[in-house]
Amino acid sequence: MKDSLTLLFRIPAHPDSRCWFLAWNPTGTLLASCGCDRSIRIWGKEGDAWVCKSVLGEGHQRTIRKIAWSPCGNYLASASFDATTCIWKKNQEEFECVTTLEGHENEVKSVAWAPSGSLLATCSRDKSVWVWEVDEEDEYECVSVLNSHTQDVKHVVWHPNQELLASASYDDTVKLYQEEEDDWVCCATLEGHESTVWSLAFDQSGKHLASCSDDKTVRIWRQYKPGNEQGVVCSGTDPSWKCVCTLSGFHTRTVYDVAWCHLTGSLATACGDDAIRVFEEQQLSDPQQPTFTMTAHMPRAHSQDVNCVAWNPKEQGLLVSCSDDGEMAFWKYQRPEVC
Amino acid sequence: MDVASCEPDAFEAVFMADERFHSEGYKEGYADGSHAGVIEGRQYGALRGANIGSEIGCYLGFALTWQHLLHKCTDEKHSKKIRVLESLIGMIKKFPFRDPTYDKLQEDLEKIRGKFKQVCSLLNIPSDLRISTERSALTF
Repeated sequence: MKDSLTLLFRIPAHPDSRCWFLAWNPTGTLLASCGCDRSIRIWGKEGDAWVCKSVLGEGHQRTIRKIAWSPCGNYLASASFDATTCIWKKNQEEFECVTTLEGHENEVKSVAWAPSGSLLATCSRDKSVWVWEVDEEDEYECVSVLNSHTQDVKHVVWHPNQELLASASYDDTVKLYQEEEDDWVCCATLEGHESTVWSLAFDQSGKHLASCSDDKTVRIWRQYKPGNEQGVVCSGTDPSWKCVCTLSGFHTRTVYDVAWCHLTGSLATACGDDAIRVFEEQQLSDPQQPTFTMTAHMPRAHSQDVNCVAWNPKEQGLLVSCSDDGEMAFWKYQRPEVC
Repeated sequence: MDVASCEPDAFEAVFMADERFHSEGYKEGYADGSHAGVIEGRQYGALRGANIGSEIGCYLGFALTWQHLLHKCTDEKHSKKIRVLESLIGMIKKFPFRDPTYDKLQEDLEKIRGKFKQVCSLLNIPSDLRISTERSALTF
């Protein structure tokens, strides 16, 4: 297990600052990073090394908490503690801030683009989740303000192939939303975590959702459609989500991020104990009660809290992480022969 | 007077006085407390109810005014705004003002607040209706 994760590079991405989040563009050729220094940096590969291609400053007044690439790869959205979300348009190598989305009362915590590219979701400490619609002229229009959570909303993520949105909150729950008769509604609440839910990740099929929490666990939720063979109760035509696995006893502090590789199914976590861990589903385990094995554990991956992990969408086993120490690291993950 | 025959009663009255007064005091205190609680609860309920009423009333007045203003324009791009305004007005009209025990009161109120914010976003108006920095924001 020791050799399954090896360090490739370590880069002081946001020196003297926290590095909050990393996002690969859809083709896996560019990596965006953001941090407390209010800047976004775009990294690209030159030869064997990853170098900073551009710095996007002056868009935000405060910390940039999260960033997201549009599915076409031509836009980048950034969520900031200054209560706004900026949309950056890529022109060759340069990025230009084309729109600033206002509306949240305070810190915007996360932003995510729907797979179609025509919808954007943002969430905030003001407890709300906003859904925005984008038209051909780059005009953004708010299509819904969802006040379902009772506390700070930490993260939003879209289902990989449906218009289904998931959000994680300080109220210890995960909520799912979908469009119904011209408005968005909360269609499911996933309860089980005993403390703040920090992040979420769907697997490649979208049938499973992983959530990570301040309660030091990762939970795997499975979608059950109405009339399922297992007899999981669904209300009406909405599918229901059930926790089928809890990864506990592995993490010693808050799990801040979880990333599900859409190429291999490997599940990586970023933890407040400065470590990175990778899990694999056991091949012969029951799909209704899957078991996961830890296949890599890198203690002291960073010198402080690990805030984010992200798998490259095209290159198998290429993992990046970033931390409160301002650094980002590139890792090569070698999947063990037998899981 | 037969001392021996009345002594136990007197003794018991003195001995039990503590418990008896305690019990009476408790009953009186409980009654007073319940009464005060009902009054306080009533005042609090009236205040909260008035707050919700004034908040929703403000949204309704705002929405009806904008609906009136936008109905004069036949511009295609306003149709979305009008639709969302109509949705907000519909939600407010359905809200059961006369039933404080309605179990989805808070949930529906949050939906109305969300819809109001969406309307403000579409109309490009700050949702706290802050016109200039000197004037205080609208808070409920």
